Amino acid sequence: MRRTSADPLQRLSAKLGGALHPERRTTLLTVDPSKVEEACLGVASLPGLYHLSTITGVDLGDQIGILYHFWEGRRFVTVKTAVPKTAPRIRSVAGALPAATLYEAEIQDLFGVAFDGNPYAGKRLLLPDDYPAEAPPPMRKEADPEKIRRMMKLE
Amino acid sequence: MSDAPAGDRKETGAGLMQYSPEGMMPFGPVHPSLKEPEYFKLILEGEKIVQVVPRIGYVHRGIERAAQERTWVKDIYLFERICGICSFAHSISFTQAVESMSPFEVPDRARYIRVVVAELERIHSHLLWLGLVGHWAGFDTLFMWVWKDREHVLDLEEGITGNRVHKSYSTFGGVRKDLPEGIGAKVTAELGYIEKRVAYYKDLVQSEQTLTVRTRGVGRISQDTARKLSPVGPLLRCTGIGRDVRTEDPYAAYDEVRPEVQTSKDGDIASLLVLRLNEVLDSCRMVKEALEKIPSGPFKVPFPRTVPEGEAAFHVEAPRGELFYFVKSAGGSVPERVKIRTPTMANLLTATEMLKGQTLADVPVVLTGMDPCFGCMDRVSVFDVDKSKEWSLSGEELRDYGIEYYRGRRG
Amino acid sequence: MASFRSGLTQWARKRSIWVFHVNAASCNGCDIEILAALTPRYDAERLGVELVPSPRHADVLLVTGTLNPLMRDRLKTVYEQMPEPRHVVAIGACALGGGVMKDCYNVGHGIDAAVPVDLYIPGCPPRPEAIIFGILKLVTGTPDPVMAGEAHVG
Repeated sequence: MRRTSADPLQRLSAKLGGALHPERRTTLLTVDPSKVEEACLGVASLPGLYHLSTITGVDLGDQIGILYHFWEGRRFVTVKTAVPKTAPRIRSVAGALPAATLYEAEIQDLFGVAFDGNPYAGKRLLLPDDYPAEAPPPMRKEADPEKIRRMMKLE
Repeated sequence: MSDAPAGDRKETGAGLMQYSPEGMMPFGPVHPSLKEPEYFKLILEGEKIVQVVPRIGYVHRGIERAAQERTWVKDIYLFERICGICSFAHSISFTQAVESMSPFEVPDRARYIRVVVAELERIHSHLLWLGLVGHWAGFDTLFMWVWKDREHVLDLEEGITGNRVHKSYSTFGGVRKDLPEGIGAKVTAELGYIEKRVAYYKDLVQSEQTLTVRTRGVGRISQDTARKLSPVGPLLRCTGIGRDVRTEDPYAAYDEVRPEVQTSKDGDIASLLVLRLNEVLDSCRMVKEALEKIPSGPFKVPFPRTVPEGEAAFHVEAPRGELFYFVKSAGGSVPERVKIRTPTMANLLTATEMLKGQTLADVPVVLTGMDPCFGCMDRVSVFDVDKSKEWSLSGEELRDYGIEYYRGRRG
Repeated sequence: MASFRSGLTQWARKRSIWVFHVNAASCNGCDIEILAALTPRYDAERLGVELVPSPRHADVLLVTGTLNPLMRDRLKTVYEQMPEPRHVVAIGACALGGGVMKDCYNVGHGIDAAVPVDLYIPGCPPRPEAIIFGILKLVTGTPDPVMAGEAHVG
């Protein structure tokens, strides 16, 4: 199982100029933000890997990491990329993988990453519509929950 | 993002997408039930729903952020409180994700105890859901019966863990206390009763007209849609795709106590009813099997306060489907990042797909059918172009509307 | 006659407490315990407590949850729709003072910031017995000081 599907992954990784790190349960495929759509489609078309578990956003300091988790059997295949905090913008994969729509909208809300082409682009999904404009997106490291609470007049 | 001026309190969720104003219906501005409560904007053509746009966040609390500021152990109790129905699934998912990052092995006894409590939770969750479907379909007798039987399962959970709802039972390195003495006989007796009742309910949901007329062919979802939208749990299995985390990626003691994956081909609410009841029967069998096979020995190993640096993705099969945790540690006493994807979030898009083509009267049953615990949808306002008027309905009034509608059709 | 009529009204009210339930960003734990209190094992309906579909028919408002910003105004609206005399019962640690969610960026510290609360029922979640006990305290006289006010979670 692992051998047969690891090889197409290596081919995919080589084609996209990415890096492949097989770990105990997760195979990480690191690619450039511009190649994400191709990488996700490539992974999702492998046998059994059509299930997109979720998309995770991680604050990496100067960058926002975005991880697309695909699941099959006893392992995850994770497509990993990062966008700079100064220009947090990436192309949406929701057109090709509709399951990504809400996961991307969530990251857009909580990390302030713009997903071009997502139906929720520019809209709120989780936060209140009057979330203070001067407050940073709440999941970023520089955001202070106490300050956000004061700005939203919760205290 | 920030185009909504501060202080502008109007429902911009309703303006999520621009549609021609032919029958637009904001559905339940407030329906906060789970971590992800839903607000649906329904676009109608007369009675028929043609488009659905969800907007969530009415119960958004910011738990993932708070978790980054609390210690690992405190986080277990925080994550449990994401959902009051599948709280044990959250705690075993988080604890096992963290355990998978450290070299410590969880004792066998603890793995079995986790299976016992997780399956009891599945029984109680599915019964709760069956009662709610009965209620929203206008069959309150079923609601009262099922909730009475559910109390027997809660008694068992309380006997084992000490709590009815938030069990605070699973912890790093095992569970917090051992099974009480003589629980085996009690479980067998109570589950025997549950099995008898569930067999009766299974017969009932397939023959009683009150339910069949509201559920057969309602909320149909095809296998292709399911592959495209990645729903999880019973919603996926009712389309014939037999994916279950417990068999595909066994955790706890599921590789020794094997579940039988239940599937169905119809993909409608009626098949979901039977499928979930079959799962309850299977869970009853598994609880008894786990209690028979359970090894003796310690139920917990000491676990350090810090977690080694690294990342781990972990998922469990919660009653509603795959519950996903991504944990990142920087080696400190607090997590660097924890991402949680609850099953309802994955099922939400599928639910919008199920609603398309249904009538307004089917909305309560279809939305309960996906099991977001839609028991408390608060307000519905309806706009119908044909009649060019707007009116508001509460969830209960919509329920009455649905019952009347079907009464008229049955003649 | 007038006093007889008001006496009759009082008597009737005490024996048919109609409740409306609002979930203001709760985890569902308290909500299912409220429902459990109304179902056959605990059967609050034998005491005249009934869950009604509209706040306009309700005497008592049961509120659970941490009250996030999206819910704050909606809770006020619901409260204003209720006819006099109206009472509010806060159920569970989150509704009392934020509970375990206290540090989260999107939660308030207790629902008494939005509506006046008559009675607090602590617990995470409170047992159905506690919920029935609390609602009955409302009608049988002044709430117990231990149950009221002081139960705020630090």
